[in-house]
Parts: sequence; C-alpha cells; structure tokens
Amino acid sequence: MSKINFRFPKITFWRVILFVILTAGFYATVLRFTKGLSATTNLSARFPWGIWIGFDVMCGVALAAGGFTVSAVVYIFHIEKYHPIIRPAILTAFLGYLLVCVGLVFDLGRPYNIWHPLIMWNPHSVMFEVGWCVTLYSTVLALEFSPLVLEKLRWRRPLKIVKGATVPLVILGVLLSTMHQSSLGTLYLIVPHKLHALWYSPLLPVFFFISAIALGCAMTIFESYLSLRAFRKGIEFELLNKLGLVAAVALFVYLVLKVFDMDGRGVLGLAIQPTYEGRMFMAEMLLGVIGPIVMLLIPRVRNNQFGLFVAALMVVLGFVMNRINVAITGMDRSSGVNYFPSWTELAVTASIVAAGFLLFGLAVKYLDVFSRDEMDNITRGKRSELPVLAAFRQPLWSATTLALLIGLVFMGATVALSYDGVRRRVPAPEPAAENGDVNISAALGELRVPGDVAIKMGESSPGLVIFSHARHVATAKPNCNGCHSSQFRMLSSSADISPGKKMQRCGQCHDGIKAISTTNKELCDSCHTRH
Amino acid sequence: MGVQNLKPKALLFDSTRCIGCGACYDACKEKNKLPQTAVNFLRDDLSADALTVVNRRNNRYIRRMCMNCEEPTCVSVCPVAALTKSPEGPVSYDASKCMGCRYCMQACPFNIPQYEWDNPITPRVRKCDMCRDRVTAGLQTACASVCPTGATKFGGREELIEEARTRIRNNPGRYVDHVYGVTEVGGTSVLLLADVSFETLGYRTDLLQEPLPQLTWNVLHKLPKIVGVGGVLMSGIWWITKRRDEVQRAEREERLRGKHQ
Repeated sequence: MSKINFRFPKITFWRVILFVILTAGFYATVLRFTKGLSATTNLSARFPWGIWIGFDVMCGVALAAGGFTVSAVVYIFHIEKYHPIIRPAILTAFLGYLLVCVGLVFDLGRPYNIWHPLIMWNPHSVMFEVGWCVTLYSTVLALEFSPLVLEKLRWRRPLKIVKGATVPLVILGVLLSTMHQSSLGTLYLIVPHKLHALWYSPLLPVFFFISAIALGCAMTIFESYLSLRAFRKGIEFELLNKLGLVAAVALFVYLVLKVFDMDGRGVLGLAIQPTYEGRMFMAEMLLGVIGPIVMLLIPRVRNNQFGLFVAALMVVLGFVMNRINVAITGMDRSSGVNYFPSWTELAVTASIVAAGFLLFGLAVKYLDVFSRDEMDNITRGKRSELPVLAAFRQPLWSATTLALLIGLVFMGATVALSYDGVRRRVPAPEPAAENGDVNISAALGELRVPGDVAIKMGESSPGLVIFSHARHVATAKPNCNGCHSSQFRMLSSSADISPGKKMQRCGQCHDGIKAISTTNKELCDSCHTRH
Repeated sequence: MGVQNLKPKALLFDSTRCIGCGACYDACKEKNKLPQTAVNFLRDDLSADALTVVNRRNNRYIRRMCMNCEEPTCVSVCPVAALTKSPEGPVSYDASKCMGCRYCMQACPFNIPQYEWDNPITPRVRKCDMCRDRVTAGLQTACASVCPTGATKFGGREELIEEARTRIRNNPGRYVDHVYGVTEVGGTSVLLLADVSFETLGYRTDLLQEPLPQLTWNVLHKLPKIVGVGGVLMSGIWWITKRRDEVQRAEREERLRGKHQ
C-alpha cells in the first residue's frame, strides 16, 4: 500500500541561505524588468558594464574551461583514463554557459533581440563573434550533454546520432571555447584609453587564452576532487597530479609573458606602486599565479590531495579576480565614477550561481552524471531520506564549506592587500566639476547660486568680464531678488526654458523696462559684438 | 542632391567665438523633441535627453556632442550593425536592430553614447547623429543653423579644415595651433578650435591618432585561419592517437595469439 507522504523539507543551513538568495534574486528580477536598469544597477554612461558582464559572462564562460579540456583530452588525445569525469565536466560547462545566457538576459537592454547577431552581421565586431560563440557552443554543449537525457528517456535513435557526432562536436567545442576565451580579451582591445595600463595589452587575447588553459586544468582538478569526496572514488590521483603540472606550466608561461609584455610597455613599475590598481594587480598575481605555481612545483604539496585542491582553487579564484580586474577595477579610474555593484546586481548574480548549484544537484540525482555503480553505492545506505540535494549535500558539505572558506580567505587577503590603496585612492578629478558650474547632477544638488557668469565681449573689449555670484551673495542663504526681479524664477526650478520659450527666458528681464529689450535688435549689439 | 551632397560634411566649433547662449542646445532639443533636462542649461551634462551640451571650462564655453568619427569605434563594435556611418558624415543609430549590449558606450573614446536606463523594456542608445535627416536632405545641422556668432559652422569637411587652418594663420597668437579632430582616432566629423590647450577644456588629448577599430580587426581577421588550422590540427591529433591505439591493440592481440600458438 502506497502512502503519499508529504514531508516539509528539512530546514538546513544551506537551504536557508539558498532560500534567502533566491528570494532576493526574484525581487531583483521583478525590479529589473519593471523599473529598468537604473533601478537595479549602479551602471551609468560612464560605466556601462558592471558585474553582470565582469562576473556572470566572463567567469561563466570560464566554468566551461573544464569541459573543453577534459573532452579534448579524452576524445581527441584518446587518454581514456579521464573518462569518468567527462560528464560532470560537461555538465559544469553547460551550467556555466547557462549562467552566461541568463546573465545576458538581465544585462542586455533589449534581451528579446539577443538573436539579432545571427542575422544582422557585423564581422568587425568582437561582440558579434562572442555572440556567435555563445550560441554555437551552448548548442554544442547541449548536444554533448543530451546523451544523459536521451539515455533516461530511452530514445535510442537520437542517442545513436548524437554519439556518432561526438568527435566533430568535441573539435567544434574546443575551437569555439578557446576562441571564446580569447575573444573576451579581444573585447577589451578597443579601449586603450580606458583600461588601466596594468591590464591593457595588445596581447590580451593571448593572456585570456593561456589563463583559460590553466583554468581548464584547475577546474578539472576541482571537479574531480569534489566527485572524489562525494563518491569516495574518483579517477586516479596521479592523473590529476599531471594536470596540476600542466596548469603550473601554463601559469608560468603566462607569468613570463606578462612580465615581458609589461616591461616592454614600460609599466612594470606601476605594479609595485601603492595605488588601488597596483595592489589589486599584485593580489591577483601573487594569489592566483605565483602562489599556485610555487605550490604545484613543490612535490609534497602537489602529491597531497588537499594541497592540490587548494592550489587548483587558487588558480580558479585568481582567474576570477583577473577577469573582474579587467572588467571593473581596471576601468574604474578612467571612468571617473567609483562603480560598485548594487545589492540587486549582486542578488541576481548570486541567484544565478545558486540556481546552477541546484541544477547540478538535480542533474546528479536524476541523470547518470556519475556512473551508475557509484551512485548506487552512495544511495543504498540512505535512499529513504534522499532529498533534492542529498546526493551531493552530505559528503560534499565539507568540501563546499572548504571552498567557501578558502574563497573568503582569498577575498580577505585581497582586501587586506588593497585596503591601504582603497583608502589612499584619490577620487578621480571630475572634469565636469571644473568651475563648479558644469556638472548638472552635482549642481542640481547644491543649486543655491549659479556659477560664474562670463560676460564676453568682442575683440575691441579689454577682456572677459567674469561675474562671480558666490562673491556677491551669501551662498548659504542667497537673496536673489537683490539683483534679479522677483519674477526671476531660477531657484524655484520651474523656470521655463523649453525651446519654444527661448525669448521668454531672456525676455523676463530684458523687457525694455528692467533691462534693455530683446526685441530691439540695435541694442543687442551693445553687449554682443558681431564677429 | 547628387554628388555634391555625398562629400563628407563636418561641423567646426570655434570656442573663441562661443558666447554660451545655448541656442544650439535649444535647437537640438527642439529638433529631436527632447524634454527639458536642466534648470540651468550650462550645468547640463550629456544624457539620453541631452544630445549636445554647452559647458563652461577654463573660462570658455565648449560644446560636447558626438564627434561622428570618420572611422567610428561604435560602428565597428556594434554586433548587430545598428550603428552606421553615412557617406555624408553622420553616425546614426537604428533602435530596431539594437540588443542593448552597450559595447558602443564601453568602446567610445569620447564617452558620448548615452542610454535610457529608466526604460525596462525598450531602452535606446542616444547620441547626436549630426542631424542625419537634415544633412542628407542638403540642409545644415540644427545647431549650426541657429548659432548667432558662427561658433558652430557646418560645411564640407575638407573646406572646414582649410578654414580652420586659415583662421589660425590669420590670427597669430589667438589660437592653439591645432585643429582637434583632423587626426584624433583617425579623424572626426566635428572639428574644434580653441585658444587654450584642449585638455583644459575637457577634451582628451592623449587619444591615439589612428582609428581604433583596427585594434580589434588585427585579431579578428586572423580568426578564419586560426579556426581552419586548429580544426585540421585537432582532427589530425584525433586520427593519429586513434590509429596509435588501434595499432597497439592489434599488436597486443598478435602477441597474445603468438604466445598461444
């Protein structure tokens, strides 16, 4: 006799966190699509790309690095030992691209036009290439992932077709993914005047590409480690070891190239200057490149599961830092605004990431992501209480916590390294604020008296006459009517200066009684000389 | 109409002639049907509803507006070709193509394009398009047509560059000996003259003197080759490693068979 047994999900720490994040994300989503980007983001014309591009897109693409690395190793180089981790790697890559696509739906002003690059071509645009890469590679990943679903549905024929197309798909996937990794760097080649010299380089696409290789290895180690912990069984440790070495070599090449490139451009000195950018750069290089190289080159660390995992995690986090530095830190100074994501931007990003975790959990539960034997071993003991996330909740709890802790340490170290820099950072001089009478947003806030008025005369005049309001009236409590008639409505902010009322604006005073009339053309010349 | 109109047009802004009356600002608002955005127009900044502004810098009046570059960065970066440069000079925008990626804003070396941030569904990129409709119809831009002092002048680009140089030559000591926009980022359709350094007026003087689109095209045009070579290379590796495995397997079987016999 079957008994429908509805049990309220057990309240656990992670579920509460998940619930809070998703609720905040839902609220932010509603806000985004009803009130617009201005209500949800801290973006502005001076800072048009924020964390949704800097993290969701740049790092979502990076998650796929594990996918293309492993599938290339297995299918193209025929190193079959890595087969067990190919499915989780592809699943992660697929989720990464989902993160990118969902992030783009939030960030694009007109997301319903996201397909336009497919028919409206501009091959000169890097974004055009990125758009095509995202589309094609998402499709490839979906196809690579589809066997898991097709197996469950027992659709033999499509399964056969997809499996038959695996090698061309993998080759296409590797090409697209590497192209995509580097083209995200190419994206920034067009802003030589905006991106800080520590990150701007003609070699940006090369740097993005090499760091993606290192990241691919690190992600694979990371994923294998998680599956190792989750299922007490994984691939042979020795293989991960080798991947660690490959990552170290890639990082070393990256480091050498970076140093030579910066030396060639004469900006090596900027790295050690106590500026905000200098500190962020040093943090990125020390924690994400030099640190892992050293760790991976020490056999005792590399041969230790935990040591290898930490090094891989550092590579991943260093990579994320690099992308965020390029997208946000490096653009900060030239923009003249201090961009920091609003809580709604962060909530959306966090929700997408949380949804990714949730989907991973669901996929592990319902699809054969890990091989069946391993799954059976896991679930046999506690099938009765298998909730949505059980498959990777219990054994993974420690690993996830560990990852979060290391992430926190990483962030803490970064903040500590850059703290002095943040404090000392001189706000970029706002060019618009010169003379105090140009920046409208600042001016509207403090609009008590107008700025200086220049009374400019012709060539016969001895020079410019500047009338300073600030020197003639008390700025705290100006009495405008001392000079201007009471009809002068500057302060009420209701002065009608719309185009059609052009003459009225001057004509309010220049009516022939209070001041010379605007209608008497000859009198105009008494102030305005003709060139 | 005809060949005459296809000659690239431009605007010459001579800040020594500007008296800050705001007629261009008003004319632009009227022509583009834009709402009021500032109590004091001199304090206004570029926004989705203010496509040109008159500001005071260093005791002079200056105008800010789209420079309508000769080889526009925004046109090159737009993934859907929503931005186009017409032969007459204007760089204009087609909202129906736009997907809102804002790469144009990110890439513009002059920080010109603005965005309708408040619009949740159909935001547009906004910028001066040098009155494309008027210019293609053979008229001058709205701002130039109302300028009382001739500070903003409309004309053929070549002629205006010549005129700007003549003004510098005929008025020794009055101008900085530089026509801004002749070579900046490969040339712009808005040319500037001033009597103090352009930097103090808020114009960037550290810009590259060549068109920016070249920076990305240098990489992009190599892509087909990289894809081709990469594809062949990987197919090759796939074939070789597959063959190697097959040979190894065959040899192993042979050896086993040899032992059994």
